[in-house]
Amino acid sequence: MGMEIETRLSDQIARYMDLAASEAKLTAANMANIDTPGYSAVGMNFGVEMQRAIQDVNRGAAPEPVQVETVGGLVARPDGNDVSMDRESLNLADAQLKFRTGVAMLRIEYQKVMDAIHADK
Amino acid sequence: MNLFGVMETSGSAMEAERMRAEVVAANMANAETTRTATGGPYRRQMVVFAADRGDPNFLNSMQEAGNAAAAALPPLPPLPGTQMPGAQMGDAVAPGVHIAQVVQDPSAPLKRYDPGHPDAGPDGYVEYPNINPLTEMVDLMGATRAYGLNGSAVQAEKSMITSALDIAKA
Repeated sequence: MGMEIETRLSDQIARYMDLAASEAKLTAANMANIDTPGYSAVGMNFGVEMQRAIQDVNRGAAPEPVQVETVGGLVARPDGNDVSMDRESLNLADAQLKFRTGVAMLRIEYQKVMDAIHADK
Repeated sequence: MNLFGVMETSGSAMEAERMRAEVVAANMANAETTRTATGGPYRRQMVVFAADRGDPNFLNSMQEAGNAAAAALPPLPPLPGTQMPGAQMGDAVAPGVHIAQVVQDPSAPLKRYDPGHPDAGPDGYVEYPNINPLTEMVDLMGATRAYGLNGSAVQAEKSMITSALDIAKA
């Protein structure tokens, strides 16, 4: 079996990083609108999106757009805004760690390919 | 997924919050201003934030123009893997925030009896702006905190981009 530079695992990790970046984008949008009257915080279900992404990679399908949903059950201020500074800060830290995990995993995956290239040295 | 776009979102919020702080500063600076170009005392100003949604009419016309241009061209086979997840989530997500308007506080000015003041009315009362330093300070604190929050979001995004550059490093 020939070795590919882009393995299935590296594709899955790339999707994982894309989803982490999407999570960061949603969190940044919420943070930006912390003072916008009537704004409702938005989010995504990371687990569901990741499962779908893995299935897409296995099928060789193109990535599907992320399903963005309004986060319910948050305490709204009198102006109708329900963005919580603590929640968003935590989510951003979470997205950042996921992204860095993806970077670390991708480096290991590519290192394997580099090792194979330099195996004769 | 474009991480630089995320920085634009946070950047728009920092710009809006800085503007809010400037308006608060103008209010505090003019807390005793009894004379303005429009006549009467200075009136307290407030900013109104609005989520960026883009102009839907403009977006629609752009899409229509794009569709018309695409229809005129021979169809191309779609390239595999060119569609990025999240590329279409722009419709549901606010790409940032802007200050929709700066409104004037409609509340009546405060009146103080000072017949010697050049702006005193015939009854001897001078109209002063209805500005409460406490309210302004709380508003300024909120603007500072929100500015800092978005600033840390920019830091986080920057570190994500930097770490992505490390993938290529041996």
